[in-house]
Amino acid sequence: MASDLILQTNNLRKTYLVKKGKESVEAVKGINLQVQKGQIFGFLGPNGAGKTTTLQMLTTLLAPTSGEATVVGFDLLKHPEKIREHIGYVSQAGGSDSSTNAIENLIMQARLYGASKEYAEKRAKELIEQFEISEFAERKVISYSGGQKRRVDLALGVVHKPQLIFLDEPTTGLDPQSRAHFWNEIRKIRDDGVTIFLTTHYLDEADNLCDRLSIVDHGTIVAEGTTEGLKRQIGGETIVIGIADKKQLEKGKELLNKQTYVNKIYGNEKQLHVVVKDGEKLLADVLRFLDSNNVSFQTIALSKPSLDDVFLQKTGRSLREGE
Amino acid sequence: MKFIQDTQILFMRNLKKTLSAPLWMALGMLQPVLYLLLYMPLLNNLGNSAALPIGKIAQIFVPGMLVIMGVSMLFAGFGFIPEIREGYITRLLVTPVSRFAILLGLVLERAFALVLQAVVLLFISLLLGLNVPVMGVVLSLILVMLIGVTMASFSYVISIATKSEDGLASMVNTLYLPIMLLSGIMLPISLAPQWLKTAAHFNPFYYAVEACRSLFAGDFGASIVWQGFLIMGAFAVFSVWLAARSLRKMAA
Repeated sequence: MASDLILQTNNLRKTYLVKKGKESVEAVKGINLQVQKGQIFGFLGPNGAGKTTTLQMLTTLLAPTSGEATVVGFDLLKHPEKIREHIGYVSQAGGSDSSTNAIENLIMQARLYGASKEYAEKRAKELIEQFEISEFAERKVISYSGGQKRRVDLALGVVHKPQLIFLDEPTTGLDPQSRAHFWNEIRKIRDDGVTIFLTTHYLDEADNLCDRLSIVDHGTIVAEGTTEGLKRQIGGETIVIGIADKKQLEKGKELLNKQTYVNKIYGNEKQLHVVVKDGEKLLADVLRFLDSNNVSFQTIALSKPSLDDVFLQKTGRSLREGE
Repeated sequence: MKFIQDTQILFMRNLKKTLSAPLWMALGMLQPVLYLLLYMPLLNNLGNSAALPIGKIAQIFVPGMLVIMGVSMLFAGFGFIPEIREGYITRLLVTPVSRFAILLGLVLERAFALVLQAVVLLFISLLLGLNVPVMGVVLSLILVMLIGVTMASFSYVISIATKSEDGLASMVNTLYLPIMLLSGIMLPISLAPQWLKTAAHFNPFYYAVEACRSLFAGDFGASIVWQGFLIMGAFAVFSVWLAARSLRKMAA
């Protein structure tokens, strides 16, 4: 394993047996990942793509059906207990104990990682300051708002100063302000030298927060790279043409495909995505071209390449459709 | 040693949670106490028989109530399932803490809470005229603890398998009544017809109830006593092993 990699998987696979029919469901179909130290790595995909299952395998909670992985320098199958000492995990549910307050939660978590009472109390204080928890630190967790609870969950995940922290859908259900705040917390953690592996189905989260991404769909990785690199793969800007009628859509696609300025063309049932180099200049040309060829369309718009375009190009579906 | 320290930390956390809601503990005791107050007096008027000699009613009835308290630890999962749901258990599973320490922290706390409840019940029984040797009480409490450990462990196994309170509730309902009726908790099995006696001998809790009655009577050498301890001890070991295994395989 190269020294700058903190996590690496080789053909990691998880198959569930559905008991009665002896059918098997492939939740994760042979995933290869490489995560570099000190980055925010995003695992982007729709719900049910196998993100949580992958995370559960990498955090030693679930045994892989086959494949290999090295996490924080240890073999996942041989030394899960070594891995546990150096990773943190914040599940979708969170993990804070609702029967007590943030301080007690943090102290106990530190002690479970082997800290003395004195050190655990000191560490809890540090984290309460770092994550701005003090205002509600002595109230029971059950009374927290979503954003407050999320901060405690995150603090619990970094109590033992892990090298790598896994966050499963960390901002689901948060209001925009709490999300922005949470993103900043995650960036701060990264700037302290901790690697972050997060799953998300939010495009803006992947776009704004992640240094590098793997896009996952139906248990397989469909694209991998930096956000900029992935968008560049699209090959320019996209003219999105809305056509309700299916025949018209096919006709438009066929005609436009013959145009030399079109780099790529793809779409779903209601839209054509036409990738061109210089969209602003060509928009009017495309419009006139469709009009003169009697292709009736309802909407036309120019969009900068987005991660959704990447997802659409690879899978034929939009990530937004699922939301 | 880290294992013992972790068990202790988790035990204390669980106990603190229990003690922070004393009402639940009190309500958990309500059933056996009501039986003592509202049912046991009826037995006094059943007439003097070999199974229920006058003056020894409490000695025969209270052991049944102790065992029923132990069996009630089947309800332990109702506090555990929400902890699975809120991710707290998963959080523990990702730490370097041994799975067995997590389980012991849970089970031993339940056993401890059970003993607290049993002691209160015994005090009330003393006020109602129970006459019992100290050694009998101590050994009975140990026996009841074994029952509590067994039932709590099974409850966690069911909780991990179903992850739903509904699933656990239907399992508890299914198990509770036959265990109770086939162990002579309410009335001694010696009153039963032969076929029922035979059936009771296949119920491990029958031995626990009878052992407890012998202990209350001061008959420490009775063979039912060591049989009761052996059976309940074996059950406790098996159930704890099974629960530890479930926890290890749980991925939340």
